[in-house]
Amino acid sequence: MADDGENSVDRPTDADGSKPEKMFTLKKWNAVAMWSWDVECDICAICRVQVMDSCLRCQADNKRDVLSRMDCVVVWGECNHSFHQCCMSLWVKQNNRCPLCQQEWSVQRMGK
Amino acid sequence: MSLKPKIVEFVEVWPRLRCIAESVITLSKVERAVWNTSFSDVYTLCVAQPEPMADRLYSETKIFLESHVQEMLNKKVLAANDAANANSTTTTTATVGSKPDLLQRYYTTWMEYSQGIKYLHQLYIYLNQQHIKKQKITDTESFYGNLSSDAAEQMEIGELGLDIWRLYMVEYLATELVRHILEGIAADRASNGSLDSHRVQIINGVIHSFVEVQDYKKTGSLKLYQELFEAPMLEASGDYYTNEANKLLQRCNVSQYMQEVIKILEYESKRAQKFLHVSSLPKLRKQCEEKFINDRLGFIYSECNEMVSEERRQDLRNMYIVLKPIPDNLKSELIQTFLEHIKNEGLQTVAALKGENIHIAFVENMLKVHQKYQELIADVFENDSLFLSALDKACASVINRRPSERQPCRSAEFVAKYCDTLLKKSKTCEAEIDQKLTNNITIFKYIEDKDVYQKFYSRLLAKRLIHEQSQSMDAEEGMINRLKQACGYEFTNKLHRMFTDISVSTDLNNKFNNHLKDNNVDLGINLSIKVLQAGAWPLGSTQFITFAVPQEFEKSIKMFEDYYHKLFSGRKLTWLHHMCHGELKLSHLKKSYIVTMQTYQMAIMLLFETCDSLTCREIQNTLELSDETFQKHMQPMIESKLLSASSENLSGETRIELTFDYTNKRTKFKISSALQKDTPQEVEHTINSVDEDRKLFLQAAIVRIMKARKVLKHNALIQEVLSLSKVSFTPNIAMIKKCVESLIDKQYIERTANSGDEYSYMA
Repeated sequence: MADDGENSVDRPTDADGSKPEKMFTLKKWNAVAMWSWDVECDICAICRVQVMDSCLRCQADNKRDVLSRMDCVVVWGECNHSFHQCCMSLWVKQNNRCPLCQQEWSVQRMGK
Repeated sequence: MSLKPKIVEFVEVWPRLRCIAESVITLSKVERAVWNTSFSDVYTLCVAQPEPMADRLYSETKIFLESHVQEMLNKKVLAANDAANANSTTTTTATVGSKPDLLQRYYTTWMEYSQGIKYLHQLYIYLNQQHIKKQKITDTESFYGNLSSDAAEQMEIGELGLDIWRLYMVEYLATELVRHILEGIAADRASNGSLDSHRVQIINGVIHSFVEVQDYKKTGSLKLYQELFEAPMLEASGDYYTNEANKLLQRCNVSQYMQEVIKILEYESKRAQKFLHVSSLPKLRKQCEEKFINDRLGFIYSECNEMVSEERRQDLRNMYIVLKPIPDNLKSELIQTFLEHIKNEGLQTVAALKGENIHIAFVENMLKVHQKYQELIADVFENDSLFLSALDKACASVINRRPSERQPCRSAEFVAKYCDTLLKKSKTCEAEIDQKLTNNITIFKYIEDKDVYQKFYSRLLAKRLIHEQSQSMDAEEGMINRLKQACGYEFTNKLHRMFTDISVSTDLNNKFNNHLKDNNVDLGINLSIKVLQAGAWPLGSTQFITFAVPQEFEKSIKMFEDYYHKLFSGRKLTWLHHMCHGELKLSHLKKSYIVTMQTYQMAIMLLFETCDSLTCREIQNTLELSDETFQKHMQPMIESKLLSASSENLSGETRIELTFDYTNKRTKFKISSALQKDTPQEVEHTINSVDEDRKLFLQAAIVRIMKARKVLKHNALIQEVLSLSKVSFTPNIAMIKKCVESLIDKQYIERTANSGDEYSYMA
């Protein structure tokens, strides 16, 4: 079907010849993506552990259960600073301000 | 009969009583009635009015027993060889003819007397219990030795009788008796233990009489036996053993000698049971071992090297039996030789390895060595822990040996790759894989650089999971659990997280597909997406690789991202296109083909939908690919002949054309990519990153230790660091020192003022 040396190509058509089929069709795609918390700084300023890992406390407490680290999520304040939820919930008991900017702490959203 | 105390005349009662006592002690017949009368005679005397006559009864009885024993000695024991025996203690050779009889006579007399005295004790029970018990010092008192034991103290009649026997019979005959006994034992040895049983019984009885005669004593009841008999016996036996050992050396080689010694040990322990008191058995055995083994170690070891290197099992088994009882430090020569032997064999089997499958050969050869010697230790050395630890040491030293100072040890890498080979899709059945993985742990445990192993393992696991190359997820999980068991949670934490990511992703895909169905969306492609957790995967540098995603993918990506963000909040997704691949259907050729390729390659192919020829620059600019990425993905396309290039080198001006005369026997195939192969750079990168991790680990360890201890000497600190890091690797001291230095620079710790080799923690 391909004539050598010619630049024009016989585009294959559907059986009924009405609509030209695409030359290349995506059949399958195995994609890989990586998720991370959508944070400005990837280290929790309270426990100094990467927010992607569970906080120090959880690492110490939940050594056995791998899935439990899923519970150690991240929390964002209105100031857009983020910390481990576990770390922050302890922090606000002492001082209800963001440890980084000293603004009154209020939760903007919670990681899930 | 009345129990009331009454006035009695001692001289009336005593002769009667004495007469009965004599009958009792000689085991003559005593009528029941007479026995009863005598019994009450004892009572009457003890409670006599006005003064009890117990003391007098006691001393009269003592005199009676003394004369009785002396009479027995003279009439019964010494009777037959009267003349000769008078000076028997001085002349030893003159009495040869009558010797056996002395033992015999003593034995018979003793049997009679010891029985008789028991009965007499019963007869005097009132005296014993009422009169003498009161005087007796209590146990505690005797234990603490408060009371100096009074020589004149009264004993119970039974004890008194035994003591008199000792005094007048044993002491008098001792030397002679012992000499006879030793001759008896020597005769038994000479006849290979075929001394007639009656004789054995006599000797045994005589020996035990030395113990029984002192049996009543609370402490030191064996003293007489030990001084009188045991010491000379041990000495005589020792001489005999030395002599025998010398004889054996004359006619035997090492293996014969060991066989003989084992036999002799066995005979001697039987002989000891036959004759001696139990307390002597270990002493005699020790004497025997001393003379045959400890004193001859040099000889026994003389062929040790040959025996081990030729693995002469029978000899080694004998040698083990022979050496087992002696102290550990004397066995070390055998153990050391054995260790060296295993080490040599191990080194030989792994030294010459090379080629593609070096990791398989390495692990399997090491396993063979390990299994072989484990079996040998079980068979020959009774699984002795000393030998097992020699095996461990040998294996560890082979496995952790560095080919040279400069080169790193590659075992960790090999073992990890071996696991990879097993866990990848193959035709091997699951049970076999499982078995091999378990075996693999055996080798793994010897690896010192477990962190290196972990690095390699996690990278290979990541590849298997992402590219779906695992044979079975159960096997993967099983292996991770085995590692967890061996090294703990920290070690496998990330591996577990990777594993969970994959199973979570499978769920997610199902949900997403259902979601699409519910909303009547058809993306037209079979989409499968893995969402990995950042931080858990060893993806190397995940620096952003630019890529203009073709619009064919965009819809899928958008749909998925929307869905994902609805499901989770606060997360962002980064697409790792360099790890994605897919299937593209080609319809421009005679037949239609389905080709598996990388995402970038798919994107390149899609550009040719609208034209047949493009320059490299055009492609690169449209897709915003970096030079490196472009080259890496373009080259295999050209090699596959799906595309053709106008020049060999792909420069900006090179024209790429779609080939229309492409044919392939298969309608489904894959464009091989160099990506999945392990490049040397990757290996090096892995090793370097291990070094970085180690430094961090060491620094953290030092800070943790110092925080707890506040002040610590240099050496103590090093020791604690070593013990903390033992699980995953063995750091070199220089590295620890460097870490200490850098922590001093960072002001975590400081040197104390008064001492150069001491640090203190700075809060």
